[in-house]
Amino acid sequence: MPALLSLGTILLPWMGAVFIWILGDKRHKLVGPVAVVFSTLAALSALYLYPFATSDIVVNLSMGDAFGYLTFRPDGLAVLLTAIATVIGCLAVIFSLDYMRGEHQLPRYYSFILLFIGAMSGLVLTSSLLYLFFFWEITALSSYALISFNNDDPKAVRGGIKALIMTQVGGAGLLAGALAMNSAIGNFEIDRILANPAAIPAGLLAFAAFGFLVAAGAKSAQFPFQTWLPDAMEAPTPISALIHAATMVNAGVYLLARFYPAFAEVPGWKLAVVTVGVVTAFTAALMAITAGDIKRVLAYSTVSQLGYMVYAIGLGAVEAAQFHLLSHAIFKALLFLSAGAVIHSVGTRDILRMGGLGKKMPFIRLAFVIGAMALAGIPVLNGFWSKELILEAGKETGPEWGYFLMLAGAGLTALYTLRLTWMVFYGKPREDLQVHHAGKAMKVALIPLAVGSIFSWLLVTTVTRVSANTMPYHTMVETNIPSLVREVALSPGTWIALAVILLSIGIWMVSHRMRFFEKALSWASRPIKASFGMESINDAIIRVVESAGERLQLSQTGLLSWNLLYVLIALILACIYLAVGA
Amino acid sequence: MIIEPRLVITMAVICLVGIGVYGLLITRNLIKVIVALQILVKGAILALVLAAELQGQIQLGQSLALTLIVADTIVAVVGLALGLQVRRRVGSLDLRDLSKLKG
Repeated sequence: MPALLSLGTILLPWMGAVFIWILGDKRHKLVGPVAVVFSTLAALSALYLYPFATSDIVVNLSMGDAFGYLTFRPDGLAVLLTAIATVIGCLAVIFSLDYMRGEHQLPRYYSFILLFIGAMSGLVLTSSLLYLFFFWEITALSSYALISFNNDDPKAVRGGIKALIMTQVGGAGLLAGALAMNSAIGNFEIDRILANPAAIPAGLLAFAAFGFLVAAGAKSAQFPFQTWLPDAMEAPTPISALIHAATMVNAGVYLLARFYPAFAEVPGWKLAVVTVGVVTAFTAALMAITAGDIKRVLAYSTVSQLGYMVYAIGLGAVEAAQFHLLSHAIFKALLFLSAGAVIHSVGTRDILRMGGLGKKMPFIRLAFVIGAMALAGIPVLNGFWSKELILEAGKETGPEWGYFLMLAGAGLTALYTLRLTWMVFYGKPREDLQVHHAGKAMKVALIPLAVGSIFSWLLVTTVTRVSANTMPYHTMVETNIPSLVREVALSPGTWIALAVILLSIGIWMVSHRMRFFEKALSWASRPIKASFGMESINDAIIRVVESAGERLQLSQTGLLSWNLLYVLIALILACIYLAVGA
Repeated sequence: MIIEPRLVITMAVICLVGIGVYGLLITRNLIKVIVALQILVKGAILALVLAAELQGQIQLGQSLALTLIVADTIVAVVGLALGLQVRRRVGSLDLRDLSKLKG
């Protein structure tokens, strides 16, 4: 049964993708409902898989001598991420029914979403490093294709190329690490690496550890690769919610969490992970305060929250990172989808032109405010509990400078969330914008996410118990609801964090709604807008890759004579090699 | 001096393939490309029969060669028909003109 279900979460969306592709442009009205059916089936099989979580390998397909075995192991971490990917994927597809209505080339859109959902499930379920890399690259491909979905918009194409190249840098790190592991143990089985990391030569292990850190940093938009994610916001909003907030960007965090037991002993690795997390979380929060585009603010906040998860993994609090990943996926998808409803209604993404929209769209305002409160870490919403767990781990085990920066980051999170919510939904309308009403499918997709943002922390018992039982190499702490409540409520760290959050809200109220704050930040706004110089470095990488590509284009003449000449030269070289070798 | 038949066939194969490849390398005329391709394939068929003979399975080689001759004729016919259409549409048989027709 678990074998069938774990294959179902991958193959059902992929079957849907092929089916939609066959349906084609002519029957574009059918395409949306078909995508909903297949993604719902995938979500149901992922949810049904959850109770079957096990540490055993349930699917073992031989792929020939060169490629080893395609194996699936649905353990606690894997089933949680599969459930997140398929359920939020399903909701994003439902949301798209309204959001993408009337667009051209819908089959391309839906089949790439379904391809992505299947690949994401495969990425987390497989226990073979080689196939993890394959699925990793499929998610990068579909992310690129969907960012550039509006392929007549140069900005969208540019953003897609940027995301593709930057995530390929990470892909190269992952591949290098995987090959190093293969040379050490002779195959790609993740379990063998986790079971006995001491058997691997220290140099190779360190190489793989830092290679995987690069991979995770590029995929999860961590420092110094963080600039591709804001540019990826040219994608249609459901894509931003699904791929660039809730699932694909979590793949890097997943990679670090999965390999934590193997790499924890590598000297300097934990400190490097903590540093990356802290720097990202803090700088991205600063950038979110100055951004003026509703989706870019949310993108920076995603980068910042991913920084919190990376930080938690660096501290060894894998279960806190996993818990925050669940909370973040739910509330950030909610925020993105309600932002999408706003953008769809008013036709702009510029928050300086919005204002006072709450009266015209009370339902969307309610959903957005719930998501914003969870993001800011207001008590009893899911973001509060998971962020407190991370901050507590930071207070107990982490370096002090990291903890202080993270606390400041929590305050900044509250600030930019409040600023965003206020500028969009409250105050006086700055412009008379035409408001269209949100469709039914949008509301259907928003309700489960809003409910989840309030109540998902109640799942903590199940999530930690399943993880503790099925992940033999990790030391997962089992928590239940009463002990979580007691732990969080009695810890002084919680009260410090809450005080910081309240203080920043207070500053905002007193200081004429941010004007003071923006002035104070104005001297820093130019470096912030340039991502502290990282933007230019990332752009330089992209320029180098693109010019190398253009140079290589010269070798592809498309003329038969030249191609034949290459074939002939290769043949002669092969003959010489054979003759000399013999 | 006794002329070894296998040597003759080998020489013929080398000549035919050489002429075909040389033709493909230098010509840009579509009709000439097809002719060169035909010469190349004839060399390949001869090589097939020779290989079969060396393996002691001459019947297999001959029957495969017959099949190939038929298939190759069809390739030539379709290629020439396409060339005719290209001449009508583009007004030229030069491959350089054709490669400018990118989508």
